Amino acid sequence: MSAPALRCLLSGGTALAALATATPAFAQAATPATPAGTVVSNTAQASYTVNGNAQTTASNTATFVVDRKVNLAAVAVQSATTSVDFGQTGVVTTFRVTNNTNATQDFLLTVAQLLPVGLLTGADNFDLDNVRIVVDADGDGIYNPAVDTAGFIDELEADKTRAVFVIGDIPSSNPAATGAQIGLQAIAAVGGATGTQGAPLIPTPLNTVNQDAEIDVVFADNDNDGLLGFDAARNGRAWAYASFAVTTTNVSLSVTKSASVLSDGVSIANPKALPGAVVQYCLTVQNATPSTAAANVSLTDIVPAHTTYVPGSLSVGGIGANGVCLLNGVSIADNGSGTGAYRGSYDAGTRTVTATIASVPGGTSIAASFRVTID
Amino acid sequence: MIPFASLAAVVAAAAAPLQLETRILAERPGAAGTAPVLAPARRMLPGDPLVVELAYRNTGAAAITGLVLANPIPQGLAYRGGQPDMPVPDLSVDGSRFGPLAVLTVALPGGGTRPATAADVTHVRWRLPAALAAGGSGRLAFRAVVR
Repeated sequence: MSAPALRCLLSGGTALAALATATPAFAQAATPATPAGTVVSNTAQASYTVNGNAQTTASNTATFVVDRKVNLAAVAVQSATTSVDFGQTGVVTTFRVTNNTNATQDFLLTVAQLLPVGLLTGADNFDLDNVRIVVDADGDGIYNPAVDTAGFIDELEADKTRAVFVIGDIPSSNPAATGAQIGLQAIAAVGGATGTQGAPLIPTPLNTVNQDAEIDVVFADNDNDGLLGFDAARNGRAWAYASFAVTTTNVSLSVTKSASVLSDGVSIANPKALPGAVVQYCLTVQNATPSTAAANVSLTDIVPAHTTYVPGSLSVGGIGANGVCLLNGVSIADNGSGTGAYRGSYDAGTRTVTATIASVPGGTSIAASFRVTID
Repeated sequence: MIPFASLAAVVAAAAAPLQLETRILAERPGAAGTAPVLAPARRMLPGDPLVVELAYRNTGAAAITGLVLANPIPQGLAYRGGQPDMPVPDLSVDGSRFGPLAVLTVALPGGGTRPATAADVTHVRWRLPAALAAGGSGRLAFRAVVR
């Protein structure tokens, strides 16, 4: 501004009166980080008196450009291990990527399945198959296959968060597979073109001569996963991790049923299946999967026609093999009032015997038995 | 008095006896135990501290009296305080009422007021108590941070 123009503007008054309306900067108090590329310019005003004449002088304008402070965060939404089954397809794990850069950026996404040992608790002895990464397009945080299809985060504004889904299949049964771990990497990339995947940002080297009008790229992100993890401070990347555990193993469970006549009231040895004879049915449940127990195994059997259930004859938890009961277990009340690891009941209305076993350890078998009389 | 040799020459119009020059300097951490180093503001990120400096000089033949230097806080900066060894400016959160931060208040949207914080400051101002003799000069500064 030339001096005559200034004098015209401010003649006769103090500079401060004009300044009060010149800078509506008050609304700045709670605003987020200044966007990259903002030109900050400073101009001072002087008012004074020389020999009784009031005068004003404006300073030059000093400026600089706010540079790009690249910062981002990635977190796994589910803190606990995800429970999966063998052969389960489309297992969805949700992450959240936040852009803490003072500008809109793209974020590229990659997945690693081989993580440093000790980073997460639990085993990592299998990999997910058919792993895909998709971005939550509609912002609801829930995977919707019809909508959420993009493989990178496009144009994420400053201080905004986007959900990212990692989807994979659990391999079919493998006795050695008990847990898996994955890591999601988010890489800050060039933004500014909607629908276009930007290239990863490259920080402006520290010794590059800065053109004051140019927006430098400065990485300011933390090492968000400690020494063990993949991430490093000031690398423009962030990592988050999730783990899976095969908890409900599809164990190989089989039931064998046998019947043996205990007495027929006539024969002394080798009793026959005569009317009035007492017959014991033996159910043995075998868990053929080594090292994985089957929990809450429930056996039901309908008492055959032309027989009558012997009250109080239900026994659960016995030792048996190949369908033959070798030793009776815990005697169970017919009304189902029992408690403990072995339970059962007899429903006279439906003629159904029920036996419940809290746990069949891997590689073992447990027996249940009841008796009937032949009508 | 500090010479102006290091400053780029931006000379006020000949008619104005006061020459006023401003610079924005980045405040970089110095070696351990030493004062921060001031450098030209080139690589500036949100949160970076800086110093806004004013240098004035009476180029006229007559003494200047009643000198008031006013500096609106530039958009994108937040006031942080005075510079050590320099006079602390009067502050304002509205450009009209000036004083130390402790006496300033900010109106709340729902009525009432709250004490002003450094981030609320919109203007700083210095009043020079003494006349500035012909050829006399001086320097003032305040500290700020990139929002």
